[in-house]
Amino acid sequence: MRQERDSSEGVEAQARPTDANGEEVKAAKGDPVPPRKRRWRLSRRGFLIGVGAAAAGVAVGAYFGRPVLHEIMAESMAGAEHGASGFMQLPSEPPLWLEVMEDSRIRLSLTKVEMGQGVHTSIAQIAAEELGIGWEDLVVEQADTSSDLVDSFGTGGSFSVATSYGPLRLAAAGMRSLLRREAAAVLKEPEAALRVEGRGFVVADSPEKRADFYSLVGAITSWDLPEEEELRLKHADEFDVIGQSVARVDIPDKVTGQAVYGYDMRVPNMLYGAVARPPTLEAKLVSASAGEAAGMEGVEEIVIDVDSGFAGVVANSRSAAWSAVKAMETEWDEGHLWQQEEIEALIEPDGEGGITIQREGNAAGVLGKETPITATYRSPFAVQAPLEAPAALADVQDGQVTVWVSTQSQERAKGLIAEAFGVEADTVRVVPTYLGGGFGSKLDTGVAIEAARLSEAVGAPVHVGWDRVEAMLHGYLRPPTKSVLSGALDGNGRIIAMEHRQGSSDVAFSFMPDFMELVMGADFGATIGARISYDVPNRTVTAWRKTLPVWTGWWRGLGLFANTFAVESFVDELAEAAGADPLQFRLDHLPDSPAGGRMGAVLEAVAELSGWGNAPPAGRARGIACFASNTVVAQVAEVSVDAESGEITVHDVACAVDCGLVVNPDGAKAQIEGNVMWGVGSTLIEQAYVKDGRLALNNFESYPLLTMGDAPNVRSVLVDTGIKTPYGMGEPPIGPVGAAVANAFTAATGRRIRTLPMTPARVLDALA
Amino acid sequence: MELTINGKSYTLDVPDEERLLWVLRDWLGLTGTKFGCGVGICGACTVHVNGSAVRSCLMPLAAVAGADIRTIEGLASTEGNGTITLHPVQQSFIDHQVPQCGWCMSGQIMQAASFLAQNPQPSEEETVRAMSGNYCRCGCYVRIRQAVQQAAGMADGEEVAT
Repeated sequence: MRQERDSSEGVEAQARPTDANGEEVKAAKGDPVPPRKRRWRLSRRGFLIGVGAAAAGVAVGAYFGRPVLHEIMAESMAGAEHGASGFMQLPSEPPLWLEVMEDSRIRLSLTKVEMGQGVHTSIAQIAAEELGIGWEDLVVEQADTSSDLVDSFGTGGSFSVATSYGPLRLAAAGMRSLLRREAAAVLKEPEAALRVEGRGFVVADSPEKRADFYSLVGAITSWDLPEEEELRLKHADEFDVIGQSVARVDIPDKVTGQAVYGYDMRVPNMLYGAVARPPTLEAKLVSASAGEAAGMEGVEEIVIDVDSGFAGVVANSRSAAWSAVKAMETEWDEGHLWQQEEIEALIEPDGEGGITIQREGNAAGVLGKETPITATYRSPFAVQAPLEAPAALADVQDGQVTVWVSTQSQERAKGLIAEAFGVEADTVRVVPTYLGGGFGSKLDTGVAIEAARLSEAVGAPVHVGWDRVEAMLHGYLRPPTKSVLSGALDGNGRIIAMEHRQGSSDVAFSFMPDFMELVMGADFGATIGARISYDVPNRTVTAWRKTLPVWTGWWRGLGLFANTFAVESFVDELAEAAGADPLQFRLDHLPDSPAGGRMGAVLEAVAELSGWGNAPPAGRARGIACFASNTVVAQVAEVSVDAESGEITVHDVACAVDCGLVVNPDGAKAQIEGNVMWGVGSTLIEQAYVKDGRLALNNFESYPLLTMGDAPNVRSVLVDTGIKTPYGMGEPPIGPVGAAVANAFTAATGRRIRTLPMTPARVLDALA
Repeated sequence: MELTINGKSYTLDVPDEERLLWVLRDWLGLTGTKFGCGVGICGACTVHVNGSAVRSCLMPLAAVAGADIRTIEGLASTEGNGTITLHPVQQSFIDHQVPQCGWCMSGQIMQAASFLAQNPQPSEEETVRAMSGNYCRCGCYVRIRQAVQQAAGMADGEEVAT
């Protein structure tokens, strides 16, 4: 098994494939270049398979079919008043394919990008399983947009494994079936007498009779694939590869400095670009000139287009480009100088435009008759801050644009570049590289357009890499939120009514056409996690979409972290009012449904893992929280509070997750660990705010990240409740972290903090 | 200017004020050393200068002329017959499946290798202190700690997140 990347002529810094020991693997002689432009044919149900004949033989592709995608979109919008129809179109080309190579290994080409989530490994495991071949005989290749592979969804939303699983299994089984049928003909034996050995089929009783895969490809004349219902897929208890903690294919290159990211891309004769940035949130470029940059050493080109707000420079080194762009003379109309208090006033979950996304019974009626318990929770702006800042290399020549970029959506990058240049999309080729972190931020592709503009102007390849401050100020942020929760208990300590009024600016809607609001109602990104999953007879959740002068959008887990902080903190407040144990209170309010059963299993598992029933070590206290979507997560945080300094220490987070079928258990646990760190950082440290018209962010000095010294221990358990397909894992475990820590803080101190982050100043305030 | 990087000598005509990080990455193509913040906070650009871990994004080139510079590309040892042996920290990072996105990992590994050279038998507390200047945004801290402890040949005190 090895990783392949699309190689281009003249690329200097190509990653070298390495085997599991980090040793360089020589490319097999005659590795065919992936053939382009196949003819794809739909199977009968228009869902599964296209087959194409091409130079290197046979390929079987798979769609992330409409049924799979719609199921997931419907899930993410469960309870929405408007349906998902028309949102995602069935792509006209498949997003992954399998192909026999000349050396009879099988290559999996896929659109999903590797940003540390291990997706190349887990998707390859699914393919290897149904192909029935050895792990070492499968090659993974990152596709670029010049292949026939099209993925308009991009890599995000924790959807990659879930959407690939069904179609890829069918495609792999189809490939195996096609090859087996041909092997039977060539070897003149019944199919049942054959088995896979190495890179071909042998006759089980006389293994000297053998046909390698590639020899079969040449012999295949019929392209009729079995329809999907005729394919025999493996049962879960037959799995050899799925469910194993297979070593990640990308790791050897990452410990030797060989992995190539967008910021690392190099081609001969490349130059470096930098672009002038607006000084305030609303700034518009009024005028620009080269100024002192014109005479600076190393400067090759000054590019100014005031109408589109663009002023940039190309130089022969990055340092020269960065210095020169600061020396340019630019004049800006700064617009209104926003202050943080104005922003916060806009986030009120009140007034016109609220969209009810969940309603059962009559919460308002019940709460109006009772004296409800009410609490308000807030979360701040936050940045994604992947450690690799946005970066792209562009080469514009003869009307063709080639861009190498760290992106979570090469198709979006391609479309935006074509739009910016006013050219046909097929003149643009976008090659995704490894990503030095994405976390939602790299669905934006502004840097690729900048590099392409500068390359076109100077007539040479240009690399643009943002510096850290640019990355913090000029991307989109996690929106601030305000949640007002109200609830009432009956005489038996059961919740009889609960209401959640949620205010946020856009997450998904920032990237979608305006009509999406009519189609979908509320922004599913802003509202994920806002619903009430417990069995409450009268419950209402209403979301207000607020417009801010700050660009907000995708961030790990979308609204999940902030919304779960609010809802699950409030559930603890109700438990306290009921005089109940927080775990038992949750168990007592589980819906009588399969979903409720899974929540119960996960809560019990985390209780056991954390020792919930036993007293915590002296000086520490525990809090519990839970989140249920397709993937169900429960966590227990163990904290201590320094009453002198106001510092909270999160010592340990226990996490139980049911994410359905687990493809790679160690990879799943790595995602849990990473999500917990993100959650703790956001709970204790991370916040951004607006001051004098701009974001008050200046590198990591003003926006520090969690360090190892502040990191909790993380223990996790994967809970199997019998779900036969995989669900998402890259984001759900971030959900409960804030509430688990906040609930533990309350258990430790008897006080509650409802505004994130829980800084020492807020802690001292709460303790005063 | 004369530079010795990973045992190889280079003569470069580079502006004096250029920082070591950009010379490595853009002038010499040694892109294994990463840019994270440019102000010496995150540690992604960590390299060895005469065996000590330094932040190459802040290091003026003139300050390292004549010094022995080592980057992630030169951390493994290559035998006469071409066999590459990974540094124990690199091997341990594979064994523990540490990296996620990997962008900070060159810096983490160079920091750990330098630390263990100076303190071959660190306590877990010493490891955490030594590694707390290196950001990992993916949040691989549990595994980094375990991997550095293992590379030091020390028994893992506590089994975590297995």
